[in-house]
Amino acid sequence: MDKIRKELLQGTLDLLILKALSTATLHGWDISKRIALVSKDRLSLKQGSLYPALHRLEGRGWIEAEWGVSDAGRKAKFYKLTTLGRNQLATETEHWLSFASAMTAVLAMEDLS
Amino acid sequence: MISERFRWVRTKMRRLFRRNAQESELDEEMQFHFDQLVAEFEVSGMTHREATAAAHREFGTVDVFREEVRDSWRPVAIGDLFQAVGLAVRSLRRSPGFSVLAIVTLGLGIGANSAMFSLGNAVVLKPLPFPEDDRLYHLYRVTPQAAKGSFAMIEWKELYAAEAGFGQVAGSSNFSASMAPGGEPPERVEVKGVTANFLPTLGAQPTLGRGFHPEENAAGSNRVVILSHRFWQNRFGGQADILGQQVRMDGVDHEIIGVMDESFGDWRLFGWVDMLRPLDLNDPVMLARDQQTMMLIGRLADDATPAEATGFLTAFGEKLAEQYPIENTGATWQMRALPEVAAGDNGKMVLVMLVGLSGFVVLICCSNLANFLLARTMARAREFAVRSALGASRGQLLRPLLLESLLLSLVGGIFALFVADGFTAWLQYRSTADNGDQVLITLERSVFVWTFVCSVLTALIFSLAPSMFALRLNLNATLKSGGRGATGSRSHQRLRQALVVGQFAMAVVLLTGATLFIRGLDGLNSNREGWQSDGLVTGTFQLPETTYPDAESQRQFQNLVLERLEGLPGVASVSLARYHPFLWWWDQKKFEVLGRPPVEAGREPATRINSVSPEYFQTVSTPLIAGRAFDARDHEDAPRRVIINETMAHTVFPQESAVGQRLRWISTTDTEESIEIIGVVEDVKSIFPEANPITFQVYQSLAQVPVAYNELALLTQAADPNALVREVRQVMNELDPNLPVTHLKSANDRIVRENYQLGVLRDMLGMFGILGLVLASLGIYGVIARLVAQRHTEFGIRIALGALPEEINRLVLTSGFWMVLWGSVLGMIGGIGLAKLLQIGFPNMPHNPLSSLLISLVVLIAVAVLASLWPARRASSIDPCEALRAE
Repeated sequence: MDKIRKELLQGTLDLLILKALSTATLHGWDISKRIALVSKDRLSLKQGSLYPALHRLEGRGWIEAEWGVSDAGRKAKFYKLTTLGRNQLATETEHWLSFASAMTAVLAMEDLS
Repeated sequence: MISERFRWVRTKMRRLFRRNAQESELDEEMQFHFDQLVAEFEVSGMTHREATAAAHREFGTVDVFREEVRDSWRPVAIGDLFQAVGLAVRSLRRSPGFSVLAIVTLGLGIGANSAMFSLGNAVVLKPLPFPEDDRLYHLYRVTPQAAKGSFAMIEWKELYAAEAGFGQVAGSSNFSASMAPGGEPPERVEVKGVTANFLPTLGAQPTLGRGFHPEENAAGSNRVVILSHRFWQNRFGGQADILGQQVRMDGVDHEIIGVMDESFGDWRLFGWVDMLRPLDLNDPVMLARDQQTMMLIGRLADDATPAEATGFLTAFGEKLAEQYPIENTGATWQMRALPEVAAGDNGKMVLVMLVGLSGFVVLICCSNLANFLLARTMARAREFAVRSALGASRGQLLRPLLLESLLLSLVGGIFALFVADGFTAWLQYRSTADNGDQVLITLERSVFVWTFVCSVLTALIFSLAPSMFALRLNLNATLKSGGRGATGSRSHQRLRQALVVGQFAMAVVLLTGATLFIRGLDGLNSNREGWQSDGLVTGTFQLPETTYPDAESQRQFQNLVLERLEGLPGVASVSLARYHPFLWWWDQKKFEVLGRPPVEAGREPATRINSVSPEYFQTVSTPLIAGRAFDARDHEDAPRRVIINETMAHTVFPQESAVGQRLRWISTTDTEESIEIIGVVEDVKSIFPEANPITFQVYQSLAQVPVAYNELALLTQAADPNALVREVRQVMNELDPNLPVTHLKSANDRIVRENYQLGVLRDMLGMFGILGLVLASLGIYGVIARLVAQRHTEFGIRIALGALPEEINRLVLTSGFWMVLWGSVLGMIGGIGLAKLLQIGFPNMPHNPLSSLLISLVVLIAVAVLASLWPARRASSIDPCEALRAE
């Protein structure tokens, strides 16, 4: 499959970030790498959309940031999920799955007539 | 969870207040990402230089998403708000004339309204300073002659004995006394004689010292006083060790045992009281049943309802009427809630009127503001069109507009507070009576809240019109016409004209009210019905019981005064009387005419009574119509004689001559069997605006009915009657150095002073009228000037095509004319309504609504013409070349 269109569906970006942060505390670079890795490079998060999204989520209180030291020993900003963010992730995931299964069902129909 | 919440708030705060730190952190975060990218490229085999270049390509323009990040900080970004406010301030400063005008307009309007509200608050709204004031009642004896009659002390005693059926009842009776501190000139003080349960009934207590004991309600032991807070401050400088000090009143030492709370000086209830003193409950004079001078206050028992209390009171009054028919027949006993009484009937109406009129001023201010804002917004149509075309959202378009109006209103509101403060100070100064009495007005917190709510609300309401204009702007047309053609749609033009029409109408009402009142009050003050006051000096003194215990000693002193003052150079005549003709006569008695069938008990006619010395009529210039005035023949041993007024003569003796008729008082204290009428004089009318329900007036001879309270009058030939004051004071001081003479000044000064509350009202209304006039003319000028500016090119073309200046003039004036016409019609309706209201409130005041309406219409139309004349002249002198070149 080709790279999925760059403009991700509204809301999917937030969901991706929340999911990426659900298991670990990461900085921005790691988040984009992890998403690329897991999606087998089909989804790539460019810094142009990543950082505004991170700051937006932080503003909503879903994630929080803390300065720490990266593996390479550099100062970096690490993000982690808050309880609020974890709840949000659960809700969003449920929504997305039900939406996706609905879409799949419709698209799987052989003949509409 | 809680610590997360806390950290989140901290993040928000940092975004708000530490913008620079935020920016540098963002830089650092980006730099980290960039460096990682470079490192990745290097791993794939690029040189550092190639890797950096590739990373730059990959990273793209940082500024774009950095802006996006900042956007995510924005919703609560106060930094932006500061910026927006700064923008609004700059924008307002660019047009200082408009801004100052708007702020001053708002400040005056809201300030005047706040001051009125503070006055209303002080007079009507403020609760009484007593606990559970809703259980307090004022008791009245209602008779056909007096709607708010008082009681006799003996009646209080009877009611007190039976008060189980009601609750508590306390009585008080005001009198004035002469206070003479050692070595200083004596002064008159207002004393409230009270029953010992007076303060407990109200629920009030002295802040210093103690209340009265029941055993102090007796002669001899009642030489104790409680000072009012005001008197303590003004007269004793608020001395802390005041308790136990002695004051000499009417020649007797009294011990100061207490000081009342400041709030007790509420003049709405008891008038002005300097001190309280226990009444002598066995005073034979006070115990007479026709000495009805006691005010009764009741507090309902906890288990009593007002209906039960009223029932008890009515029954009690009826029982007394059976036992003592002479004094009580025809009277019913009633009660009214004390808070209601305190607010007063007339006072309430006047205040409603004033608050309403000041509301008119505010409305005029606001419609002016809306007009200014609208004009300003229209002039900036191009700016709005450009911003809208560049993609500004509705919110972004409206925010600067709203901020500007909000800013204007807040500054105007702050200015208004100063105006209100100044206005209050002026009111306080203006309402200070001779004796230092004041209407207590203080700005209270509620007034501040009121002012601010006012200013913010007006801002929001009146920035709606320009906002609607900005939103409905036709982008295409505005941009094409270069903003010049943006005269606003027809409906906007109409809105602006409607605002001016409304303004003009309100100004007419204001000015009519002011004119009516000013002319009415001047009429009252110059009203000389049945008397003259030119060249008259008047003064007041009261003979204290201790020095002048009986009629004989009073008579002797009065004769001495007349004799000595007559001898003064330049004095034409001197008189003493119980009342001046121009002030209210409180005394009244019921009478019957001898030789006529008796009238049903309680239905006898009543008359006002005065006691006068022989030269009285001559001194105050009351013309004698028939018979003769008093003279030396009417001494104490001569048969009792009276003189009556014209109305009484005509009404009681329509067929025959009144002179020689005889009458008799319905009274238990004055039992004279036959009193002869020896003369008839013209009616006299007081200077007060209230109508006197009793139109009969009877004069008794002072020698036959001496009184302790004396009004002195001297007629001089001197040009300035006040020049005589010093000599009169000297003579009086020689006769009795302990006797204070108050109000010693020319009668004309006294008359103006007596109506000083009305004078304050008059000044206020006058101010409102002028304010309305100025503001309305500003409004008309603003609209017409804007109209001329908008049609600049059109007028240029007209002139180029040969239109005469007069024609252009007429064109401009016509547009003003219609607004004025409609405004006048609406204003006339309102003006007539206000005139009716004033007539109800002040029935005795000379009243000429039509001429007042005409005067204010003429003044306003003249001002309107002037206001449109200037723009018209500018329009007719437009240089066509210039106007067309600009096109």
